[in-house]
Amino acid sequence: MATPIIMPRQGNTVETCIISKWHKKKGDKVKPGDILFTYETDKASFEEESTAEGILLDIFFGEDDEVPVLTNVCVIGNEGEDISQFAPSGKKEIKEEAIKETVDSPITEPAPQPEKAPDDILRISPRARNLAEKERVDPSMAQGSGPQGRIIEKDIIELAKKGPRATSVAFEEFTASDKKPQGTGIGGMVTASDIKAPKAEPVSMVIDDDYEDQKLPNIRKVIAKAMHHSLSSTAQLTLNSSFDATAILDLRSKLKAAAQTQSMPNITINDIVLFAVSRTLKKHKAVNAHFLDDKIRYFKHANLGVAVDTERGLLVPTLMAADTKSLSELATASKDLITKTQTGKITPDELTGGTFTITNLGTLGVESFTPVINPPQTAILGVNNITYRQKKTDNGFETYPAMGLSLTFDHRAIDGAPAARFLKDLCETLENIFILLI
Amino acid sequence: MDIFDLMIIGAGPAGYLAAERAAHAGFSVLLAEKGNIGGVCLNEGCIPSKTLLYSAKIFDSAIHGQKYGIKTDDITLDHTEVIARKNKVVKKLVGGIKAKLRTLSVTVIQGEAMIQPKTSDGFKVRINDTEYTGKRLLIATGSMPVIPGIQNVQEGIKNGFVLTNKEILDLDVVPDRLVVIGGGVIGLEMASYYNSAGSQVTIIEMLDHIAGQTDLEISSILKKNYEKKGIIFKLGAKVTGLAEGKVIYESDGKVHEVPADKVLMSIGRRPVTSDLGLENIGVLVEKGAVVTDLYCKTNIAGVYAAGDVNGKSLLAHTAYREAEVAVNNMLGKKDVMRYDVIPSVIYTNPEVACIGETQDSANQKDIDYDIVKLSMMYSGRYVAEHEAGDGICKLLIDKNTRKLIGAHMIGNPVSEIIFGVGIMMENEMRIEDIKELVFPHPTVSEIIREGIFEFK
Repeated sequence: MATPIIMPRQGNTVETCIISKWHKKKGDKVKPGDILFTYETDKASFEEESTAEGILLDIFFGEDDEVPVLTNVCVIGNEGEDISQFAPSGKKEIKEEAIKETVDSPITEPAPQPEKAPDDILRISPRARNLAEKERVDPSMAQGSGPQGRIIEKDIIELAKKGPRATSVAFEEFTASDKKPQGTGIGGMVTASDIKAPKAEPVSMVIDDDYEDQKLPNIRKVIAKAMHHSLSSTAQLTLNSSFDATAILDLRSKLKAAAQTQSMPNITINDIVLFAVSRTLKKHKAVNAHFLDDKIRYFKHANLGVAVDTERGLLVPTLMAADTKSLSELATASKDLITKTQTGKITPDELTGGTFTITNLGTLGVESFTPVINPPQTAILGVNNITYRQKKTDNGFETYPAMGLSLTFDHRAIDGAPAARFLKDLCETLENIFILLI
Repeated sequence: MDIFDLMIIGAGPAGYLAAERAAHAGFSVLLAEKGNIGGVCLNEGCIPSKTLLYSAKIFDSAIHGQKYGIKTDDITLDHTEVIARKNKVVKKLVGGIKAKLRTLSVTVIQGEAMIQPKTSDGFKVRINDTEYTGKRLLIATGSMPVIPGIQNVQEGIKNGFVLTNKEILDLDVVPDRLVVIGGGVIGLEMASYYNSAGSQVTIIEMLDHIAGQTDLEISSILKKNYEKKGIIFKLGAKVTGLAEGKVIYESDGKVHEVPADKVLMSIGRRPVTSDLGLENIGVLVEKGAVVTDLYCKTNIAGVYAAGDVNGKSLLAHTAYREAEVAVNNMLGKKDVMRYDVIPSVIYTNPEVACIGETQDSANQKDIDYDIVKLSMMYSGRYVAEHEAGDGICKLLIDKNTRKLIGAHMIGNPVSEIIFGVGIMMENEMRIEDIKELVFPHPTVSEIIREGIFEFK
């Protein structure tokens, strides 16, 4: 029994998705887990895996087609299975045509051939074969739409329309040869000289433009619009600071050592920062808020947006109520979220609801930057790398690891001093991280 | 700022046709022309020369009418009337093209175009101090007559003693003695008209035969026809200078001179590639011609060239096809030039029409071919219309594939028949396939059918 693959519903508000790329084509063998196609909502891009094993019997939508959710996109099954019931518009006419054909030409049916390996025999009706000769197309290039993929007259008519056709001189060699050269004759016909030596692209020394144009994927358009909207509609500025990372590095190495003997998640520096932020935000409600032009909405919980770099582009999934999670719960949840985002399994619903965002470029050696706010949030924290600095203590100058933090805030919602107080508080929390754990 | 989808320089056959096709496909098109819309073909080439030749043909028919039972007296060719009619025809056809371009909303700009360095907006062309921008460029600047650096040529051009294809179409008075330098298509056609109009015509040609690459047997039949009419040929002769009322040439190591009232300089044409700014965008020019591939693309992405400017064929119908190939490729439709199946015609009386391989070219390419040669007298229609016609038809087939690879004909009206051979060759029809075709009877075209059945 053939299995249809539907366009999944990604979140409650999504009505249609756009197929951005097909990874398999009609007739390909597929098994569960194979990626069939990539599709996009207006927020994100996803990959659809096959849930069935068999042949990709038909594809109902092409690339760039907008497909309503829960509609059949393709169908997988065994060769020759009737799939007409799965076509979104009901493709019954194919079957009728096939029946008509067999009725039309029973007399010309050749005597049964001795059995050969199925690959060697071209399954084709005599009418179709005659027409192929007349049209000078190679019947082996036709897509069989008859029973069990048999090539029928209609398929040859279709092939003759699309080509390639051959001239009468070239026809015999064209059908006999495995190579199917590009036709350079009239109407793209394959000529004798095309078969002899396919014409090379002429003119030497072609100077191409030193750039290539690429159509923007939907997700890039969304990011572009969001970024521009943020910078053009808010009054953002960035404060840079740093803190002594000795405590968090110490904690990290202790947890790492402990993880080897006990069952606990791998806790990263980023997780520790998330943890500290979720706690500090509780004391600075203006930073954990949405600026809604005529009002400010303060949130009871810290829903942390985590910027994740993916092949498709920047995505920001949300760690809901991070302030209620322990460090270990937070580490597990963030790891899970990041993996889902990077593999394209995140749902649009998981990409909304953030009250504050954290973006980490420190792992890429960035010392300070100006993160862009995700409106209507009022602030975003950039996490930088660790550099070594000197500080004066009673014992003279001491070298310590300093981790940079860059806080961008919307001056419409928050003034400089409260924003700086949040940053200072966060730095102190991170320097004394053990207190939080008590 | 308006950015055109396509900017075309030159409104000859390649330029105006490309403008029409591109505009029809939805492109916004700018068409720049420094001279007349229609280019050389329409204004000082193909079309005006054909109106003159048609007048000459009617005149010749009337003179020889007796052979066909028609007797007339006092036949005269009124050259002034002929030229006036020519001007009317040209005006009508140019008007037609202008109207078509208008209908398709092509922006036509009169003025000399200069290509500027490319910017991020696209290609830039300056015309009459205004700069225009476009995504693509089509170079269709055509060709101009070659003027050799021989003694007194420049003076001759200035004082009207030396003419090119342009001026000879507008002569007020038929010269008593016309010397044609160069026995190619243009020289032969003009010689034909002025011979009928009453000039004593001498053709001086450097090669030992006339009509360039044309099949030698056919060019010699043409020459005999001309000689019968009184045209004098000086073959293997090199013009060394001009003097007052005469042309000086060398042949067989001796210096000769021939008296002349007017001299037509028709030794060839060369592509117009200078003073265009091609160097500003780095378009490759070799031997004075813009280098193009079979898609009519130049070496610069987005820059195409069509027509005489590529120096390949110098025929208006080649230019038409090149223009279409260029536009199709711009539209993303793969289309390719097939230069080996372009017909060539000489509109003399009798007409000459050829396509594909000659015996010479087939020998050079080592093609194993078969040839048949038939007198045009095999066509009943030809016999009915020609007293003592000496036309012939030669057909060449490839022995291995048995497809038609060449056809060469002399006799009227082969100019109207040759396209049919082109279709057969484009489709690589074998003689067995052609044998199944029906030719209307009685027509001169039946000579093809007769020829095909001669092959074993």
